[in-house]
Amino acid sequence: MKWGIFFCVLIIIGVIILYEWKTIKTYPKKDRITFFILLIIAGALSLFDLPNLPGPVTLLESIFQPFGNFMESL
Amino acid sequence: MEKGKISSLQMGMIMYLTIMSTAILTVPGITAKYAKQDLWLSPIWASLVGFMTLFIVMRLSKNYPQQSFFQICEHTAGLYIGKLVGFIYVCFLAYVTGQIIRSYADFILTVYLPQTPISVIVISMTVLAAFTVIGGLEVIGRVSQIFFPIFFFSIFIIIILLIPKLNLSYLLPIMEDGILPSLKGAIIPQIWFGEFFLIIFLFPFLSDQSKGRKWGMITIFMVLFTFVTANLIVLFILGQNIAGTLYPFLKATLFVNIGDFIENMDPLIIALWILGSFVKITVFYYVTALGIGQWLNLTDYKPIVWPLGILIVQLSFWSLPNLMVINHHDETVNPFLGLLMQTLIPLLLLGISSIKKKVKPVKI
Repeated sequence: MKWGIFFCVLIIIGVIILYEWKTIKTYPKKDRITFFILLIIAGALSLFDLPNLPGPVTLLESIFQPFGNFMESL
Repeated sequence: MEKGKISSLQMGMIMYLTIMSTAILTVPGITAKYAKQDLWLSPIWASLVGFMTLFIVMRLSKNYPQQSFFQICEHTAGLYIGKLVGFIYVCFLAYVTGQIIRSYADFILTVYLPQTPISVIVISMTVLAAFTVIGGLEVIGRVSQIFFPIFFFSIFIIIILLIPKLNLSYLLPIMEDGILPSLKGAIIPQIWFGEFFLIIFLFPFLSDQSKGRKWGMITIFMVLFTFVTANLIVLFILGQNIAGTLYPFLKATLFVNIGDFIENMDPLIIALWILGSFVKITVFYYVTALGIGQWLNLTDYKPIVWPLGILIVQLSFWSLPNLMVINHHDETVNPFLGLLMQTLIPLLLLGISSIKKKVKPVKI
């Protein structure tokens, strides 16, 4: 966990909300919810040490392992 | 959602830059690992995937005119499964965008700016791409209209300058171990030909849809031609040493030397890489943002562009600590993931839609 990265991302999120606030206010509820959910996911992910965290890449590697072995045998 | 219109010619230019920009540098090295001196044959086999993808995309958009890919999913597979497939596609597109930004940053880092932190390179490119994405499809179309001639002619100028250095004997023996090595080498380039799948997102915004098929075909032939030429040039310059190099075309460019005066052409390659990668990243970023908008039926995709930017930067680092891991991942996962998402699932959707058309519900 790196607090520096987390606070940087928090500042960026704050800037994005300030910058988009005027336009996002006029959009319907669904758009606003999507906007904030994406920001929350981004904020939550910045809490972790991402390069060494298992993620979608690890998932795909375990799904495609038989094909990966096939490629290595070529 | 998207009010802009582009012409089919612009679509062709967008697709050419999207595919060729990263392919010309990285693909020959990986192809040569499997195909040895037959690497120039591999793109020809791989282009079959491109033609198939284009055919599927054209048939789908003919069956469901003016509908987004996500609507097509819902029409063919039902509402819930369609939404699920849409979610998988949104995740796939965001993931691919992250990977492309990472490979762009790795090249700049290894070749040009070794002291710069990678996050600076990634974030600066993402911010630039985000501004273009907010500009909309017309802006992307015009950007690629400006960049296409620069990209295309620079590559051919480099190739012409390399002609005195060519050693044609590296080509022999053709098909030493039969056709199989060149087919194995085609497994990697087919990812790039499969990216013609993106046409399905651009097709509803074409002003002259009747010409879409023609320009799609021409783009595939152009990509194929550039691919084969680049592979041949790299082979004629480097011979059997290609397999060990990460960026063979850059290495071949270092051989340009005419009368000790015209030399050191590698900055041109770096400029081309930045220019082409910019278009590629922008197109994938745009398609991801538009895809999320269409998948959730939002009124506009523009507000989610900046939040998505943070996510894409994070995806470009997630589980990818160094270049070794990335290269291993590129060779073992992406060929099958690309084939599955870009060609096989659309083929399945086309199959379901044509069956649905034939079997009409019986009225009681």
